[in-house]
Amino acid sequence: MAMVKEPLLFARLPLNARRVLFGLVLFAICFLFAFPVLWLILTSLRPESGVYYVHRGTEITLGNFAEVLKDDRVVEAFANSALIATLATVFSLLVTVSSGYMLSRFQGPAARTWFGTIYVFRCVPYISWVLPLYFVAQSWGLYDTYIGLLLPHIAVHICFFSWLMKGFFDGIDPSMEYAALIDGCTRWGAFIRVALPSAIPAIAALGVLCWLFTWNEFLFALILTGNRVPVITVVMAQFVTEMGMRWNLMAATAVMALLPAFVLALFGQKYVIRGLRL
Amino acid sequence: MAGGGRPLFGEQTRFMLLLITPAALLLTLFQVVPIAIGANASFRDWALYNPKKTWVGLAHYQAVLSDPEFLWVVLPNTFIFMILSVAGALVLGLALALLLNRPFAGQKLVQTVLLVPLMVAPVIAAIMMRWMFNDQFGIVNAVLEGLGLDGQPWLVERWTAFGVIVMTDIWLWTPWYTLLLLAGLQSLPREPFEAAAIDGTSTWRVFTHLTLPMLRSVIVVCVVIRAIDAFRTFDIVWTLTGGGPGRSTELFSLYAYVLAFLTLDFGRGSAAAIIGGLIILVVGAVLYRVVDRIARA
Repeated sequence: MAMVKEPLLFARLPLNARRVLFGLVLFAICFLFAFPVLWLILTSLRPESGVYYVHRGTEITLGNFAEVLKDDRVVEAFANSALIATLATVFSLLVTVSSGYMLSRFQGPAARTWFGTIYVFRCVPYISWVLPLYFVAQSWGLYDTYIGLLLPHIAVHICFFSWLMKGFFDGIDPSMEYAALIDGCTRWGAFIRVALPSAIPAIAALGVLCWLFTWNEFLFALILTGNRVPVITVVMAQFVTEMGMRWNLMAATAVMALLPAFVLALFGQKYVIRGLRL
Repeated sequence: MAGGGRPLFGEQTRFMLLLITPAALLLTLFQVVPIAIGANASFRDWALYNPKKTWVGLAHYQAVLSDPEFLWVVLPNTFIFMILSVAGALVLGLALALLLNRPFAGQKLVQTVLLVPLMVAPVIAAIMMRWMFNDQFGIVNAVLEGLGLDGQPWLVERWTAFGVIVMTDIWLWTPWYTLLLLAGLQSLPREPFEAAAIDGTSTWRVFTHLTLPMLRSVIVVCVVIRAIDAFRTFDIVWTLTGGGPGRSTELFSLYAYVLAFLTLDFGRGSAAAIIGGLIILVVGAVLYRVVDRIARA
């Protein structure tokens, strides 16, 4: 039992030394995890001349942010991303909450078929349906439009979210709904007024995640939009491939793209962790 | 219901169908229909210069399946990536979940820091790594040179570039495992652990004989979902290396994308997309069986 040795050695150290060691390990881990983001922030604050030796200079400037914000395309991309993410979140939750409720409350062939369908489509790689969706979008006149980007963003969440929503409702005792039905409530009433309120915390958590997923999504926008609907991830990827070497501006854009996600996650973290107990 | 006659469905069935109608409609329009159209395109010569879209049968499938690039670079890359990324993030995520599962001062702060990558878009993560691993000005080479070692042209050689891609993915997804496994750990019953503590069982034995078996179902779910998602990774490869150097770090999604949108051969791109979809369905089913059996053993 070679593995036993280490905990024993650790346990033999005096309590204070153990505390310090534990603290050091924690600090090292946190540092490694946070470092790429910290480095990005530092790069975004460096003037153009200092960007190539980020670790040496001490000059700090907010000029990069000002310069990036002068670019209309970047500003438009931020607005578009925020709009699409918000609408996609609202509609994804609306569409999947009822689908998850159905999966949770009913058995039988219809529910089994629907569950099988969403399980299979959950596995299909994005490229396998977004690639031909390009033709579909073009022939329906949806290519490079808001609606043409929004609808696939809603569709992509149907499978996974229905499955998660089923889990949320599985955790809620249905007897209250039966009581409501006996009292003359309609099925819709039992669903919306009795079951739904108990599921709200979990649904809010999912909403936070959904907003982040959509804000961060890249492939759909790359394939389904051109110049008329720029979104932030695509604009940034173009920075890398086209503008190449202007790292300070790129870092500034990336930091700004991180901000809303951080704010949202900071306030939503509690709900996400509480809401997503599988 | 206007007029007499029995409604087509019972009241309950109608309620069920109404509940899933919006979801089913969207799923049909934006996944089922495109896949059907893609399947149709994969049997045709669907290129820009051929407006007639001649039927070519299985020619595209044959071309993809006999393309040495696909067989000996893209497929191995995809599977190696999948295995390394899932295993790496699972081990790290589990370790961090165990670390966070005890109370200590500043636990909330550490938890928040560890969840940072979860909020970072893959594209941004890839840009960060690309900057850090830049061969001339990146911090990684600067540190290496500071230590008296030689800097590496990380993104210019196949396996170092591949390593950076895998590392980026592990960095991105470790928090996800940590979050779900931590939730799993916190919902475990206390009694077995208290009994083990009274018996003086070693920490390692508690881990292998109690914690792991009780966490199995959560691990199964994590591994299956992540493996399937790792198979379709696109963003970080596109931004980090664009599949290069040459085409040596291409994964499946990038291969199909390049065929359809850069080579402009939609027919063959669709065939590749469908082949990949079929592969992952088989892999997903097998994986589910295997992991499920491990979980029950």
